[in-house]
Amino acid sequence: MEQLEQLFSTVLTRHVFLIFGVLSVIGAGAMIFSRNAVHSVIGFLLAMLSIAGAYLCLRAEFLAMAQILVYAGGIVVLFLFVVMLVEMTKYKERKIFQTQTPVALVVVLISAVTFLGVFLKTIFGKSAEVALTLNPELTGDGLNAATHNVQAVSRGLFADYLLPFEILSVILLVALVGAVVLAKSERG
Amino acid sequence: MPTISLTQSLVISLIQCVLVVVFIFVVVPLTVFAERKVLGYLQQRLGSTRIAGHLGGLTGLLNRGMWKLGKVPVLSYWRGLPGLVGDVMKMLLKEDILPTKADKFVFWIAPALSFVASVVVFATICFVPGTFFTFPTWVPFLGGLPVSGGIADVNVGLLWILGMATVGVYGIVLAGWASNSKYPLLGGLRSAAQMVSYEVPLTLSLLAPVLISGSLKFSEMSQAMAVGVPLWAIIPQVIGFLIYLTCGFAETNRVPFDMPEAENELVAGFHTEYSGMKFGFFYLAEYVNMTVVSAMAAGFFLGGSWLLPFGLQGVVNPYLASLPSWLVTLLCEPHAAFFAIKIVFLLFVFIWVRGTIPRYRYDQIMAVAWKYLIPLTLVNLVLAAAVRLAM
Amino acid sequence: MKKFLKTLIPFDIAKGLSITGTYFAKVFLTANRAKVKQHVVSEYPEVPAPLEPRFRGRVQLILDEAGDPKCVCCNACAKACPTGVITIEGGKKEGRKTRIPTRWDYEMERCVFCGFCVEACSFDAIKLNSQFELAAYDREDFSLGLTGAHNVLEPSPVGKFSYSDEA
Repeated sequence: MEQLEQLFSTVLTRHVFLIFGVLSVIGAGAMIFSRNAVHSVIGFLLAMLSIAGAYLCLRAEFLAMAQILVYAGGIVVLFLFVVMLVEMTKYKERKIFQTQTPVALVVVLISAVTFLGVFLKTIFGKSAEVALTLNPELTGDGLNAATHNVQAVSRGLFADYLLPFEILSVILLVALVGAVVLAKSERG
Repeated sequence: MPTISLTQSLVISLIQCVLVVVFIFVVVPLTVFAERKVLGYLQQRLGSTRIAGHLGGLTGLLNRGMWKLGKVPVLSYWRGLPGLVGDVMKMLLKEDILPTKADKFVFWIAPALSFVASVVVFATICFVPGTFFTFPTWVPFLGGLPVSGGIADVNVGLLWILGMATVGVYGIVLAGWASNSKYPLLGGLRSAAQMVSYEVPLTLSLLAPVLISGSLKFSEMSQAMAVGVPLWAIIPQVIGFLIYLTCGFAETNRVPFDMPEAENELVAGFHTEYSGMKFGFFYLAEYVNMTVVSAMAAGFFLGGSWLLPFGLQGVVNPYLASLPSWLVTLLCEPHAAFFAIKIVFLLFVFIWVRGTIPRYRYDQIMAVAWKYLIPLTLVNLVLAAAVRLAM
Repeated sequence: MKKFLKTLIPFDIAKGLSITGTYFAKVFLTANRAKVKQHVVSEYPEVPAPLEPRFRGRVQLILDEAGDPKCVCCNACAKACPTGVITIEGGKKEGRKTRIPTRWDYEMERCVFCGFCVEACSFDAIKLNSQFELAAYDREDFSLGLTGAHNVLEPSPVGKFSYSDEA
């Protein structure tokens, strides 16, 4: 019984996260390597859902649910919409859409190096301790980040970082208006 | 209260899952049957009263028995129930056709996605506040342990429900695409646009309970909306309930918003090419979704596990002390029964509306969502904020 | 603005719901009794379906007091028949002034139940009876004559639609 207990506790704390991690990598791989665009979107969906699961394992419930709502529910549906309507069967069309391979390689390399640098610094560098714990000011006022996840996030968004949040909203609004303007002017 | 080890809590969760699945597979077939009968009654018919087919004399025997049942007061409503068994048998045994040029993988995964997304929602729905029942002490391993009223009453329960509702869209869209046929594709696209549109007013209408209760946890929200609000909170609750129900009809693709399967224009919409149990999964998912929407409407607006809807219970509660104690027990204790009765009533409303209102045109559906429901929900949100301020 | 408010307040929907709700309540409260007027659908095989007086069923010969057909074999019906399903041969019988049919064939599978034969008959010898449950498993059962289980002198033995699986 004691061993079973131990087993469950290890599985729940470590292995589930591992499973979700592997699943998200598989999903991402399927997204990149599959020939069919709709299969790619399904891979993307799997990756997004597994990432949400990984967030859950890290006790960031709100983030996990936001991940599902925003990415799985909103963005991937739009992807699917576009992909379903644009059928790339002809070789010519494929060529039009795939001219950016060398550019993409360069961009990916640069961003990978940057990301790895940041990654190494946050985990093994000086700021590791701070980065891996929640901001201490969020846990004040009797808010326990583990049980009041939503409240903690909302306090961060609407009290501590209100100005950046509002600026972000305005930027999104600008993008929205811009899209409408572009669509309108094209129509004539 | 005894301490619960991890293994025990896992076993209890497993038991709860089994209970919920049993609940689903009792409620869903009965809803399918009730749909036939109630639709018949709404149109002055009698619904299904007999079965057809050649089962070596069994059919005749059953039909004669059911004719006799027709004169027995309560049992007469159950005539035609054997037809349900026939339905299930048909779904399980029918030939499973795969269209030649269909995308096999996606064709398989779409019904599963649809069904799983609708069933998984039940994880966060809390049927009874607090403890559902406690195991008696003679039970091995689990003796004396309480079983709570929901599988996982987490503090982001509402978000989980909404998130899974959005994942359910994939089932329909992918089914439409994978069939490699014109009508399913059109049906799938229509439904995706419709469901994505109606998610906005649906979420906004649920924001009012979130605002008033200050929580995203199903049990806390349900309790706060049922017993913790002043009398005049009934205004945002009633408006919110009507909006939520409208959006719920649209989200579950029911009449009058059953665009994905508008028969006169799209044959059968996204499931035109599906047959056998794959179609059965879509069918089941629709009814499970109906149950979920009913459960949420009951929990957030109709007082959940308490007797009176729209938060009236909290207004009445102080006066209950003057009543005899057995009456108070009767009016307050059977939480599970109240919740179940509300779910059943809302399922009836689903069928009632189906028997009454004709299908909207596609542009009308979109207009209703964007031009009427969203402004109305915003007004409702302001009202809810006023209630919150006054509390 | 008026249209907005009119759409916003679901008055019509409530009205429709109340109508169907009334029907539901009516049928729900009376569903356990066999004969209730407001049910649009009758429980047909068990409760006999009501027929209109001018219903046109199968061709049947009318008999006189002696039990013989009143038919005098004038062939007026056979000539009036648009699909030609009637074949008559006449003969003699002791003590009867008019001729008597020795053969009166009626092919029901081609009959359109128009009733012209009844109109053409000057002797009131034919009627279309009230039978409508005429389905049969065998093609021969639609060729009716003066003799046999299926004949033109009496109603078909097909009778009430039966639940039994025997052919």
